[in-house]
Amino acid sequence: MSNSVISVISRFLEEYTTKTSNKLKVVDAYLFYILLTGALQFLYCLLVGTFPFNSFLAGFISCVGAFILGVCLRIQINPENKGDFLSISQERAFADFLLAHTVLHLVVINFIG
Amino acid sequence: MIYIYIIGVDMAQPRVFCLVLLTVALGAQALTPSHHLSLSDVERLKGLLSQPFTDLASAYYSIVGLSKLGASVADENDACQFLKAQLDPMSVDSLFFAAEASQAISDCEIPVSNETRDILLAAVSEDSTVTQIFRAVSALSSLGLPLASQEVVAALVARIAKEDNVLAITTALQTATRLSQQAELGGILEEIEDLAARLDDLGGVYLQFEEGLEATALFVTAAYTLSDHADTEPPLKEDQVIQLVNSVFSKKSWDSRSEAFSVACAAAALSSNRFHVPVIVSTQGPATVSHSQPILHVGSTLLLQSSVLVESAQAVASKSVVLSQAPFSLRDGIFELNFMAGQPASGYYQFTVAVTGDSRLVANQVELKVKVSTEVAITNMDLSVVDKDQSIGTKTSRVDYPFKAKGSFTADSHQNFAMTFQLVDVNTGVELTPHQTFVRFHNQKTGQEVVFVAEPDSKNLYKFELDTAERKSEFDSMSGTYALHLIVGDATLENPILWNVADVVLKFLDEEAPAAIQSKTLYMPKPDIQHLFREPEKKPPTVVSNTFTALVLSPFLLLLILWFKLGANISNFSLSPSAVLFHVGHACMLGLMYIYWTHLNMFQTLKYLAIIGSITFLAGNRMLAQKAVKRLASK
Repeated sequence: MSNSVISVISRFLEEYTTKTSNKLKVVDAYLFYILLTGALQFLYCLLVGTFPFNSFLAGFISCVGAFILGVCLRIQINPENKGDFLSISQERAFADFLLAHTVLHLVVINFIG
Repeated sequence: MIYIYIIGVDMAQPRVFCLVLLTVALGAQALTPSHHLSLSDVERLKGLLSQPFTDLASAYYSIVGLSKLGASVADENDACQFLKAQLDPMSVDSLFFAAEASQAISDCEIPVSNETRDILLAAVSEDSTVTQIFRAVSALSSLGLPLASQEVVAALVARIAKEDNVLAITTALQTATRLSQQAELGGILEEIEDLAARLDDLGGVYLQFEEGLEATALFVTAAYTLSDHADTEPPLKEDQVIQLVNSVFSKKSWDSRSEAFSVACAAAALSSNRFHVPVIVSTQGPATVSHSQPILHVGSTLLLQSSVLVESAQAVASKSVVLSQAPFSLRDGIFELNFMAGQPASGYYQFTVAVTGDSRLVANQVELKVKVSTEVAITNMDLSVVDKDQSIGTKTSRVDYPFKAKGSFTADSHQNFAMTFQLVDVNTGVELTPHQTFVRFHNQKTGQEVVFVAEPDSKNLYKFELDTAERKSEFDSMSGTYALHLIVGDATLENPILWNVADVVLKFLDEEAPAAIQSKTLYMPKPDIQHLFREPEKKPPTVVSNTFTALVLSPFLLLLILWFKLGANISNFSLSPSAVLFHVGHACMLGLMYIYWTHLNMFQTLKYLAIIGSITFLAGNRMLAQKAVKRLASK
């Protein structure tokens, strides 16, 4: 059982490092960073309590929102998905990413208190 | 003997008058005047009119007004000289004032010349105002000069048609009183009724012109003077007359000499005309009679030739008629009646008093409320301490007013303290039930005071019982010696009673002795309340927060390391203006976010964001387009 899990994981990692382009790896690294930040914030909240609840929510939702937008960007610039996004060029995806982030930041800063 | 005192006014001097108050009758009675001028009011009126005068008009008001009140100016000769000196023989007004005033002073003659007569006669025409016509006609008649009444009537009728206001018509009425009785005054007489219709009814109590008190008073004067002159009853109903009386005499201090003059004229007209004379009946002093003071004073303004009688006197409580058709006797111009002769019981009585003898009298039936008061005596005061289970016989002691019981009475929780007594009328021996019969316990040491009510039973015997156990909450369970007082009072009692009957020692079980809440400390400042501010939320120690801040920022380092390892670089960064502008704009937007967090509000931020954002967008659009072109070209 564990054997198969390990083999799946190692196979996955191998495929990942070889098949994915650098651009996507860059975005993946960014996503991983966002994930860590969000997880650490959540851990802090669990440990210490939700005292400035609005601040916690602002921070956490900022991470969640950024992660989602990053995932959207990754999907849209992946050449394998080109068929699904015929009208959206890579630059356009990046521009959408920036615009959505502007709105997200506006909301987060408003809520952070 | 009770004597009802009525002030009689000698009708032989028609100029003397004083209207006295008529008490307002409640219930389904005819309207009675609620305002009048008392003697002091009349003196004040005279005082206002007696003030020194500076010109002919004020001289006229003063001299004629005072004469209507039966008084005269201080120095008649002086006044006469003043009139002659101030007279301007060319002016109709001047002639009017001087002529009228000189008539009121004895032995005062204004010189008359042919020119005077001509000027006055010329003023009587359709082209002069009603006031001018009135003054000319009055001057002519006062100076004894002939005048053509029919011409005056014609001029008046023409002027009334043109000047339709209240004052003008009133002045026309006044003018008509100076004309000969053979003239056709019928048309002018009808104006009285028309004018009366213009009066405003205020609440059913007052009837007056909206032009004010002076206009109303002048109207009253004119209406009655003209009615007397033409020997026709004025078309005013009794209620209207009373309402007019209320309006004219409700004001007790007058603004101007002319207003005072108009009130004086109205008063004279009302008290001495041939048709309606309002009468006022009231009590002088308190309307109370008793054995020691059996006199009920009633004042009124009246002729001596009339008679006053009590139509009925009814007890308010029992509605039984005590007196009926009892006449008053006249003594020194005062009407008197003995009421105590019938031995009335104490209480309130409703008197209906009527004044008869003259068909002109208006509002001559009055309701008066008379109180018969008496003195009370306490008899058969018995105090006792009764055991609850009745096993031990009661110990009753009798106490006589105003002495105090010799020993003190002790009652504990097994016993009741009881008190019985009777209240009787000293004069008649009848049992009384006054309004207030209180039993008061006063603890001298603690200052506590507890009051109970003693109630009479069916035989009018007062009983009071104190159940010590049941009432302990009212005493706060404070045992001790209480002084017992009996309080008896009523409006019809002349001798209210406060009697320290005895001392009572009360013993309560489980004495809590709540000494804190005594009446003394009730009004002392209470202890300060310390305000507890909201506790700030418990925050984690700074170490923990700092650690986690570092932890949360650390993934950024990891990101940079990963990117470096992946070989991400900015080698493709083109220094085209749009790229630079885009990056600068984007950096500005991020900076704006920070400033928004620290300084701005949403509206300001959106404003700046719109500006920076649009620049960034345009630049970014350009830059990305260039990048796309480059990418597609390199493909």
